[in-house]
Amino acid sequence: MITVALTKGRLFKDFLKYMNKNGLTVYNEALEEETRSLYTIVDNVKFIFAKGPDVPTYVESGVADLGIVGSDIITEDTFNILNVSQLPFGECHFSVAALPDQQEFKVIATKYMNIAHTHFKNKRQDVSLIHLNGSVELAPLLGLSDGIVDIVQTGSTLRDNGLVEHEEIMEIHARLIANKRTFYTKEDEIYDFIKEIGVIE
Amino acid sequence: MKNELIIRRLKFAQDYTQLLADENYQLVDMNMVEPFNIDDKRHHSSTIIFEKNEQLFSIRSDWTRSLLNYNENYTLDDRFFGYFGSVVRNYETFYQAGVELYGPSNDEILSSIDMHLSFVTARYDEKFQSIVVNDDTLLDLYIEKYALEDDIRTLVHEKNLSEIKKRLGGSHSLYTLLSAKVSDQIDLVNAEFGDSDIMLFIERLKQLLEKYDMKFILDLSFRSPQSYYNGFYFQAFLNHDYPLLSGGEYNSSAFGIAVNLSNGGLL
Repeated sequence: MITVALTKGRLFKDFLKYMNKNGLTVYNEALEEETRSLYTIVDNVKFIFAKGPDVPTYVESGVADLGIVGSDIITEDTFNILNVSQLPFGECHFSVAALPDQQEFKVIATKYMNIAHTHFKNKRQDVSLIHLNGSVELAPLLGLSDGIVDIVQTGSTLRDNGLVEHEEIMEIHARLIANKRTFYTKEDEIYDFIKEIGVIE
Repeated sequence: MKNELIIRRLKFAQDYTQLLADENYQLVDMNMVEPFNIDDKRHHSSTIIFEKNEQLFSIRSDWTRSLLNYNENYTLDDRFFGYFGSVVRNYETFYQAGVELYGPSNDEILSSIDMHLSFVTARYDEKFQSIVVNDDTLLDLYIEKYALEDDIRTLVHEKNLSEIKKRLGGSHSLYTLLSAKVSDQIDLVNAEFGDSDIMLFIERLKQLLEKYDMKFILDLSFRSPQSYYNGFYFQAFLNHDYPLLSGGEYNSSAFGIAVNLSNGGLL
């Protein structure tokens, strides 16, 4: 049996849609039934439900053999995993956002310190970063920062708060990741699964 | 810690060091406090460094590094060394056991790998399920043959199949190789580079290990967590997700094998 770490939320819904579209209903029936369980077993696959940022930790440790995670999480932090494949769902992007008339960005608030730091360093732009854990849209509205670096999906949260995107800095998508040891010790089950979800033909 | 684990570790240490002595390895024991060496810190960031009498010292964090420094600082009569002992990483003590071979021939490397596998299977009645091997120079052969950009290395090391396919196309030999089941890779590499020195060595190893009846896997994405390994590298697994044996070439002319001593040894 292999263990696949998933995260509930938008990525999970997108995963179910993708599986439905590809006729993989054997997993979907059981997964769609799940509401509050922490795991479910379908045939030879145990799906565990974790917080997004914890998915790579489960995979790195080998508790999970595979994981489906947003590329934002494995770009922001470093994990000792195999970064096997982009998946055709979970698309969104990182942007620098601010009030429409903001001209200069000297102070940026973000939850994603490493991504923001790398972006401004590559642009040779001298920017101070402030770490916030959420609701970063508040920061420019209250004068804490000139702008924010955050994930933008539909842009509605920005619009609702009177903010606009000034610069798109990185695409985000769902990725399939794998543990570096069980990729060998559970080779057959892992290949069967990644074939089933269309990662390889 | 449970008594059983401590006794198992000590029993293993006795059996293993006796094997090494019988096979003419020079056993070594060393002070845990060592003169500070910046390379040691670079390879093991968890190494603890302290100052005493205006001199910097470190606490041993890896036997391979300690023996390499010892070998580089002194003229030694022996080329093959064995050890069992503790190391400290991030304030935690671990035990390590293994061998280091300086300037070994291919025959001597093969013989040492065989000795370790044979020791575990015969003495402990354990069966190895699989061995995974790679050599960083195999990727060099692909890069040279197909004139690939050097940054393809990162994509291969993280087995980023989608990006490799995007870059090279789904029919490229390197994508075909990496998207194949890992146990099928050896035949694909052999078909292209079967006459290279490294594939001839890997093929010899494969034949030597046939008697252990285990899966032999070659994967170009497979690498050591230790950055100093720069050539052939392997891990051998019992029926467990952590390898019992790992080893490889480093520093151009040295070869080491380490035994995993988690849970007192033999996993």
